[in-house]
Formats: sequence, structure tokens, C-alpha cells
Amino acid sequence: MLKKKLCSSSQISAILSRSVTSTNFSSPISISHCCNSLIFNSPSLFSSSSSCFFGRAEGNPFHSGRGLFVPTSISNLTRDNARFLRNENLFCSLSKSAEKYHCWNCGADAENSTLFLFCEACRSVQPVNESTDYFQIFGLGREYKVKVEELEKKYKDWQKKLHPDLVHSKSQREREYAAEQSARVIDAYRTLTDPLSRAIYLVKLEGVLVDEEERITDPELLAEVMELREAVDEAEGTRALNEIQVQLQEKLRYWSNSFEDAYLNKNYEDALASIRRMTYYKRTNEEIVKKL
Amino acid sequence: MLRHLTTTILGQRLRSAVGGDVLRRMYHERVVDHYNNPRNVGSFDKNDPNVGTGLVGAPACGDVMKLQIRVDEESGKIVDACFKTFGCGSAIASSSVATEWVKGKPMEEVLSIKNTEIAKHLSLPPVKLHCSMLAEDAIKAAVKDYEAKRSKSNGSQDAEPLGKAADA
Repeated sequence: MLKKKLCSSSQISAILSRSVTSTNFSSPISISHCCNSLIFNSPSLFSSSSSCFFGRAEGNPFHSGRGLFVPTSISNLTRDNARFLRNENLFCSLSKSAEKYHCWNCGADAENSTLFLFCEACRSVQPVNESTDYFQIFGLGREYKVKVEELEKKYKDWQKKLHPDLVHSKSQREREYAAEQSARVIDAYRTLTDPLSRAIYLVKLEGVLVDEEERITDPELLAEVMELREAVDEAEGTRALNEIQVQLQEKLRYWSNSFEDAYLNKNYEDALASIRRMTYYKRTNEEIVKKL
Repeated sequence: MLRHLTTTILGQRLRSAVGGDVLRRMYHERVVDHYNNPRNVGSFDKNDPNVGTGLVGAPACGDVMKLQIRVDEESGKIVDACFKTFGCGSAIASSSVATEWVKGKPMEEVLSIKNTEIAKHLSLPPVKLHCSMLAEDAIKAAVKDYEAKRSKSNGSQDAEPLGKAADA
């Protein structure tokens, strides 16, 4: 019974945080449906944990004001629940959340609600939480410069806990969680170790997406890239190729720094321009590697 | 030399796609044809007054495409065309098709070549449609460059209408 209650509240938290992270708020209907079923199962749950939801969102105004929860069968609810649901200030902030995640297996509280991949109490893998970004997985803030050796160490530490090979004897449910969770950690590791993908991911977190089908006619950049590609094409021997590679590394370093400056100044136009250049140089480097 | 050029340009990817298993989506035979029998790969002298150079790129994939046309001054027809593209098989095939189609045509006519025609001819999958757009852009850029050169040397206003069409 206790387990069920705790499960329900974590489901609500999960539902709320999922709906909050999506930018359009047209999912109140689905929330109310879920809440209805949960409410009937454990009415007392709300009065005790209702304090979780009464909080002010900081920064992002994800509040809906009145009418977020408009269950049609509101008359069936107890007084407590009705009071909770009609509250106007129903916020759910992302990082400074008062809501707690709980382990699906043992019900223990998550020590850290933004990073709950693994329950230390019962050593079980937790389901993927999409609102945890890749930087949080590695205990980093949203910064461009990272220490790659530290990334590797953290990555290995995670895999020691999450890898699917370690859960052969566990339940089907946990095996699925392990598969998804370790896949996400691998994704995060790969994205963050490569400077270009790290840059693209960083601006993506700010809502700036790189246009996959963009076409440009910038004569200076294109002439330079053309020259580089032709040079790689015509280069004979390892030495010539290595020379070009050195040039490329230099350019990549320069534009990497340029990206960081642009990002710190929230100058996303320049950040994207740096990403474009880095993509071209990286591609040229790949061609060299193929030839070598 | 041409073989070497296309081999290095296209790299391993195309070969493995061709030899790959039937269930995987493969390059259309026309795309493969342009790879095996490259046509019009090369360069004209950029400074030749009768040459228009179109240089376009798709930064997200790291593609760069150069298409050049040689125009006969009197008739306004494109007498020769060549290309150099660094990118995927679809991009290379698209620009190759573009050079084939512009040859022998008057400049105004090639401006109406649409990327959808190129894509249809090569049976390009949706993810590769932007390669054909790149080829269309390259044609327009080449014509625009030629017009700009001509108007600069003549100082005449005749280039204006065509230039506007190229922008459209």
C-alpha cells in the first residue's frame, strides 16, 4: 500500500515534469485524466504531498494560472483534493523542484531530483528522465570547455552501475531501464567529448537549432573550403596530408574559441557561424583520415 | 586522374552501399552511374570573361559545390559546363546532372531548371532533396556570376533583367 502511494506521487511528478518541459501547455487534459485515476486510488496522498506542488517557478513562467486541472468529475473528489486542484498558483519549476523522485523498486527518495539514474539504496537502475540534460549526467554546468579525461572517468563510473550486462539476473523492467539508461549515457558521453557535437548540443539546449538543410553562398568561406578539399585530394604522401591536418587543427582551435566567446555573450548568430566553420574543417579532417 | 578524383570524392560510402544488402535503401542506378562514369568534372579558368562560376555549400553536411559555365557571347547559349563537388553521392550526381542539362541551352532557360526535376531524375530520397536544391542554387549562382562579370566589363544595363531572374 505504501509502495503504491509513493509510486503514484512519483508518477505525478514525472507526468508534471514531462509536461512542463514541453513548451506548449496543451496537455492539461491528459494531466487531469491521469490525476483523476490516481486521485481515486489514493485520495489522502494529495493532502500530504500537496505541498510538493505549491511552489514558485523561478525564471521560466510555466504556470497556467487557473484552470490547469479541470477534471469533469470534480464533484466526486474529497474536499482536500478539490482545494488542492483549485489552487491558482500551480507551478512546477524545473531545477529547484520541491517534487521528489522515488525509486520504483524500494521507494527511497532520490538524493538529487535532477540526476536520478541509479538508486544507491537498493542498487537498481532508474527509468530515463528526459529532462536531465547531458551536462547534468556528468555533473557539469552548461559550459563549452570540458575536461575530457574527467568525462571518461565519470562515464566509466556510470557504466559500472548501469551497463545492461550487470542486470542479467534482474527483472525485465529493470533490464529495459538499464538498456535505455546506459544508451543515454553513451549518447551523452559521445556528444560531450567531441567539440563540434558539444557545441551543437549546447546551443540546442538554448533552443537554437542548426538547420540541416541550410545552403550558403559566402564566397570567402566556400573558396577556402574548396581550396582545402582540393589540397587534400591532390596531396601525395603522408607528410603533405599531415601538414594540412596541422593547419586544420589550428583553425578548429580558433573557431572553437570563437564559438565559446559567442556562446558566453549569447550571440547565437556568431555561434552558428562558428559551428558552420567547424563542420567544414571537421569534414575535411575526416577525408584526410580516410586517405591516411 | 578523373577516376582518382571521384574515388576520393565519393569514398567508401557509396561502394559499401552498392555492395550492401538488398533490404537497405541503395543509391539509384543513375546516381551510381554518375559515380562510375563521371562526366564534366573539372575546372575552367575563373578569370575567363566567358566563364561564370557558381560556388555554393551546405554547411550542415560539410558539402561544397562548384559549377562553371562557358557562355557564347553572341548567342547567349551555354556551350560548356563543368563541376567539382565535395560531398555525398547525391550531391555529386545532382551537380553532374546539372552540368549535363545546361549544356547547349540559353542562359534564361537554365534558370528555370528546378531541383524537383533533378531529384526526380535521380530518384533522390527525401533526406537528399537538399542536394538537388544545392545544384539548382549552383546553376543560378553561375549565371549570376557571368552576368555580373559582363555588366562590369561592359558597364551596360543589359544584364539587369537576367540578373533579377537569377535572384528569383
